[in-house]
Amino acid sequence: MGDSSTPQFRRAVVALSGGRTDRQIVSLASEIAKAGHAELVGVHVVEIDWTLPLDADVAGRDEAAQRVLDIAEATAEASRFKLETVLLQARDVGAAIVDEAIERSADLLICGLPFRRRFGGEFAVGRTIPYILKNAPCAVWVIREAMPEEQA
Amino acid sequence: MFVLVVGGGKVGYYLTKELIASGHEVVLMEKHQQRADQIKDEIGSVVIAHDGCEGKYLAEAGANRADIVAAVTGDDEDNLVICQMAKHHFDVPRTIARVNNPKNEGLFRHLGVDEIISPTRMILGSIEQDIPVHELLHLAALGIGELEIIEARLQPGSPAVGRLAADLSLPQGCSLFGVIRNGMPTPLRTDTVLAEGDKVIAIGKPDCEAELRGQLIGHGVEA
Repeated sequence: MGDSSTPQFRRAVVALSGGRTDRQIVSLASEIAKAGHAELVGVHVVEIDWTLPLDADVAGRDEAAQRVLDIAEATAEASRFKLETVLLQARDVGAAIVDEAIERSADLLICGLPFRRRFGGEFAVGRTIPYILKNAPCAVWVIREAMPEEQA
Repeated sequence: MFVLVVGGGKVGYYLTKELIASGHEVVLMEKHQQRADQIKDEIGSVVIAHDGCEGKYLAEAGANRADIVAAVTGDDEDNLVICQMAKHHFDVPRTIARVNNPKNEGLFRHLGVDEIISPTRMILGSIEQDIPVHELLHLAALGIGELEIIEARLQPGSPAVGRLAADLSLPQGCSLFGVIRNGMPTPLRTDTVLAEGDKVIAIGKPDCEAELRGQLIGHGVEA
């Protein structure tokens, strides 16, 4: 295990959005997991709208989704850490991530939050992270990217 | 089976819960965001917070692949529009509508809604079975509503009491086919004389009802 100053977890689920925060959270999570000999599971969810059955072959054919996992694995490897990745398809991203964390008995869920503003200037947190914060039984870390310089 | 339920009131909510428990794939559309969120919190992400009366939202909800669309809002006009769009635009094999005002039943049937559920009619039928009334009792609808099976209880003073069934001037499109006397079903014959307390079973078109009532119950008969 790492020294007492390192945050501890046994198994964490990293929510991969395919956005610009993925590298940052995977890199950070990998360093901490490596120090604490913990497991990391990167989860990317392809949302299936109701026009298709849930078991429609969408995620498997989605090159962009595969690329999200490849980038996450490569980022972890750069920290000399082996990241397990999972591609899911679901009706709702937040619910799928929480379910995966429960199923894997994860004690931590890590999400990235890009800094975005709505039209009108209000900060936008989206709907997935509030869902996770409200429903995940384990600890949740939300890592918000830095505010762009022109907005700081 | 994929079922699209429109209307997140009590009926829609419990219907969705039961369907999920039975292993069906279900999506519920509820136009009020607050109510939709409330249901979503309780039963999961099967709720779409949009108005099912709009075609684009029905499309989003997967009406194109729905086996059944059940329109159970508290508004008959909405339920009719939803079923019409489901049937004719999305080719949904089976549409079910809740009809709150029994007077709208005919219209729903005429416009091709496959199944009509009228809570008002059901409760009315239940009440009529339990208390003696002078009105005709609707037992069932046949086909898609062109015909109804009706029961008439012959009370003292009924114009049909003491007459041969064959002598009654029944309206066109209506016929008597049985009588329940002292709890026993009996077929109606030409020599059957109707008696007080008989329950006469008739089959006929809904528009024959007034004339049938006049022949069997009379107008203004007192108990």
